[in-house]
Amino acid sequence: MSFFKRKATQPSSGYLGKGKNRSKINFSLSRKNAWLLWLCQCLNIAVIALELSTWMLAIISLSLVWQALLLHQNRDRVKAKNTIKSGTQADHRPNTHLHKQLATNVAPVLLGMFALLGCLAIAITAKEVGILTSMLHLLCFSYVLKAFELKARSDFYQLLLLGLFVLASSLIFRQDLAFTLITFILLVINLAVLLQLFSMEKAFATNIKVVVLLLGQSTLLAIVLFLVFPRLSPFWQVPRAKSAETGLSDTVKPGDIANLTRSTKLAFRVDFGQQKVPAYSQLYWRAMVLEDYDGKQWSRQKATRTTLSNKATGSDKSSNDKPLTFDASTTDVLPLNYHVIVEPSFQKYLFALTPAIIAGDKSGINPQTGFTFSSTRIISQAKSYQLTSYLTAPLALELSKKSKQVNLRFPEGSNPRLEQFALQLRHNYADVEARAKAVLTFINKEKYAYTLQPPMLDNNSLDQFFFDTQSGFCAHYASAFTFLMRASGVPARMVIGYLGGEYNGENEQQSDSQGHLSIYQYDAHAWSEIWVTGKGWLRIDPTSAVDPQRVNSGWSSELLQQQSALNNDLISLYKFKNSAFLNAIRLQLDALDYQWTRWVIGFTTKQQYNLFKNLFGKMASWKLALIIGVSLIISMATLMLCLHLLNRTKHTQKVLSKWQVVYQKALAQLAKQGMDKPAGMTVNDFAKQVREQSPELAIAFTRLSASYNSLCYQTLSIDEQDKLVLTMQHHYRQFLHILKKQS
Amino acid sequence: MGVMTIFSLPKSVRKLVDKSFEHWLSRRIPTRKEHQLNSRNIMIYPTRFGLSYLGFVVLVFLLGTNYQNNIILLFSYLLASLFISVMLHSFYNFSQLRFYSTAKQQGYAGDELYFPIQITAVKMHYDINVHFTDSTLNSQIERIVQCPQGSQEIKLSYKSSKRGMHCLGRVTLFSEYSLGIFKSKTILDFGHCAIIYPKPTNLIAGQYQLSAQSDEQSIESYQTSNLVGTDDFSELKSFVRGESRARTAWKQLAKGQGHYSKHYQANQGQLKWLKLDDMPSNNIETKLSYLCFLINELTATNQHFGLALSTDINNKSMNISPNTGINHQQACLTALALYS
Repeated sequence: MSFFKRKATQPSSGYLGKGKNRSKINFSLSRKNAWLLWLCQCLNIAVIALELSTWMLAIISLSLVWQALLLHQNRDRVKAKNTIKSGTQADHRPNTHLHKQLATNVAPVLLGMFALLGCLAIAITAKEVGILTSMLHLLCFSYVLKAFELKARSDFYQLLLLGLFVLASSLIFRQDLAFTLITFILLVINLAVLLQLFSMEKAFATNIKVVVLLLGQSTLLAIVLFLVFPRLSPFWQVPRAKSAETGLSDTVKPGDIANLTRSTKLAFRVDFGQQKVPAYSQLYWRAMVLEDYDGKQWSRQKATRTTLSNKATGSDKSSNDKPLTFDASTTDVLPLNYHVIVEPSFQKYLFALTPAIIAGDKSGINPQTGFTFSSTRIISQAKSYQLTSYLTAPLALELSKKSKQVNLRFPEGSNPRLEQFALQLRHNYADVEARAKAVLTFINKEKYAYTLQPPMLDNNSLDQFFFDTQSGFCAHYASAFTFLMRASGVPARMVIGYLGGEYNGENEQQSDSQGHLSIYQYDAHAWSEIWVTGKGWLRIDPTSAVDPQRVNSGWSSELLQQQSALNNDLISLYKFKNSAFLNAIRLQLDALDYQWTRWVIGFTTKQQYNLFKNLFGKMASWKLALIIGVSLIISMATLMLCLHLLNRTKHTQKVLSKWQVVYQKALAQLAKQGMDKPAGMTVNDFAKQVREQSPELAIAFTRLSASYNSLCYQTLSIDEQDKLVLTMQHHYRQFLHILKKQS
Repeated sequence: MGVMTIFSLPKSVRKLVDKSFEHWLSRRIPTRKEHQLNSRNIMIYPTRFGLSYLGFVVLVFLLGTNYQNNIILLFSYLLASLFISVMLHSFYNFSQLRFYSTAKQQGYAGDELYFPIQITAVKMHYDINVHFTDSTLNSQIERIVQCPQGSQEIKLSYKSSKRGMHCLGRVTLFSEYSLGIFKSKTILDFGHCAIIYPKPTNLIAGQYQLSAQSDEQSIESYQTSNLVGTDDFSELKSFVRGESRARTAWKQLAKGQGHYSKHYQANQGQLKWLKLDDMPSNNIETKLSYLCFLINELTATNQHFGLALSTDINNKSMNISPNTGINHQQACLTALALYS
């Protein structure tokens, strides 16, 4: 935690204290570099802008504009300054040759005041926005201010590192593939700005190329490090991101889900592996069970241990033992294994097809009442878990008294017309299931509409919806249905979660399909459950009565149209879904992002361990350490070798004939003596030069050159050639002999 | 040397370290006129920025670990491996360069002396900086931003107000190319030496008198130097057959005084010894300055002179027998520079 502060405050104090003689160096960037740096700063800030408060963004953009103005003004001053400065400068750092002196320094008092005010504002708002955000504010604020006092090269370095830190911390909030790519592109730009300092005469594009090359060479080692470097547990508690919760909330008013469906954000993904994906209408992803109804909204039952009774039937184990989980041993339904990867929602609930049990790693997941699961921590980054579901198995054949009470409770008189209707139903249909069916038939027959834009209800009155407006979204129907059931004396509850999902893969129907299911926020859904003696909790989805397509295959095109009209997004889902080409691209990107989420973001200690186990078998920890060390060394050696080869290939050699080899050898010997043969010089001319420079060598070398010349340019028979080569070798030996004598 | 200055060791220890380092260096990189950079003579170490960069990478790693964020971890690993690849790049940017420099330069006190270093590159190199290792020389860092394939020259300047022979020691060449994280450095020894002549001081004619030596040696040299020249007329002699008609003294012939021919003598006929003791000053440095001026004057007018720094004219090690020409001038000036 403290390092944030240190990092941020460091710039104001002198860096490392030492080096007094060097700190007074007159450092300045060339005009091009200064602008590049400015641009780079803007980009870095842009990446993290979403996480900053509006007032901070205003301050930052103000500073950036100020900076830009200063840079612009300096253009005029450059010339005047140049003539004065060039004479007086006699310092001893390499930057003196920069002719374009740019002083973007502002009066320190003014700057200090500004900094102080900014820090004050950050401190005041700290409580409100949370620690992490205020740390970010501090970081970005110092990052922008630092640019005003670039007096020495170390200031520039600090600014650059601050920028990289801004980039790194932006990754706290988002980790998806696209964002990561943007971050890495910005990393390249940042490094290129640094490189520009050392190779000013090159174009920025070439510098970017060099940096890409450098990073490319580094990736091998980075990947090896990523795979083998031990994952450590957190060293200390860090402030968590306090981002807005996305997805479902644990209280639902009738209109809520319709609002949520405007979002096209990904909620989670599911991988069924080699198994067949269940039918769309089976994919009821359960997130929360809402049992409390106060006349306006549904909310979760305050969980108390004693109220729970969610065991599956026939479980003869005591309820204290495993009260929350479904007992798989009691059912002969075929199990369905799948892997869920949840996107960060900043909430705790998880998704499952009920009834389900956790397969694999159980840590971090708590089974909840109503066959749901929740994470022990707020999900702030992608989380994956494995489940086994028994889709058709009954839920909770026994219902405790308490639970029954809860699920029958409703505020009497809140919706008198519905209550009336319920009593009527109760009278007409003695059988519970028949009663439920009757309601569904009623909904289906009457002119009910399924729409994303339901009319506003006074005080969330269900009466008004059911009898007057008669149009609503899933939550409306589920609420009304559940209310009706309760009023008619059937234990009923509301369940929220997601329905369906988009399959992304080769072929959904094939059993060996390699694909995954993506569930987006617009798949959010609400449905009901009623408890029937002998059958347990039965899922009843009133939406199926009003819009069967929604339940069986997904959104109808009217709904999609409605959504795109509501969103006013440039890239709306409706347009995407209408164009096969765009949709294919979208699915491809989604598949890529899935792999990224699964293998990179979701690469945990356990997976790391499994990887080792798969590769090398089970082993002692010292062996593991050895393997880590060895692999690091090997990858480093590979890197070195690659670079070495890369540097060698520049002088690729043609296949040389014997005499050429000999001549080259002689040239190399001469080069050692300091006599280089320029590429354009002829053999004879060079021999002449050698004669002048070192007469001792002259005779031998001239003979050598003569034979070389005749071998190269005369037409000789093979015998003659061989002879001449031999004599040439003889000359060469003589030449070497003389050389040795000389030295 | 940035890293070394951080540690301020006790003086004695430091001296010892310096000495052993010097010894090691002289074995590793011996004095040579030409050096080629390779793994033997390149030293490469992280700069202060490099160290802070490493610290920064650790910081990012901590951030990633604390947030259990794989992408930030990946980011830090990438930066860490960048550290290593930059090291290699830095090395390859610096290696294979060849440097050639002549060892000796002469000049007058207070003048700027330039030591050219010829740099031969087989590929593009960047950011080559050169300066004298000895920090007391206060030499400016010369920089080549971009060193293309081929030959380039860089000039190191040296200025001294003290006459004598100064050994300038080693030359430091360094490059922080790539990202400034690493400094590739080499300390080459070209055996650079500067011979600083005394600064010439004007001496008005008449303030001194050149003395002809009265001993035999000098007479001998007087005679040998009495060459027939073309500058000044010296005498008329009776015409000898075969002499050029151009030299005929027509005036005398016309007057009927006989056929003579004109004979000329070069100016240098006058033998001169520049003597230290004759210089009109009490200060030895001033005397040497006067001598320096005279030597230059005499050479410029192409006169014969000798230099006597010792009162004993036979002391051959201290005196330079009369001669003329540039080489002679240099010998004399060098003698002045080295006089003690």
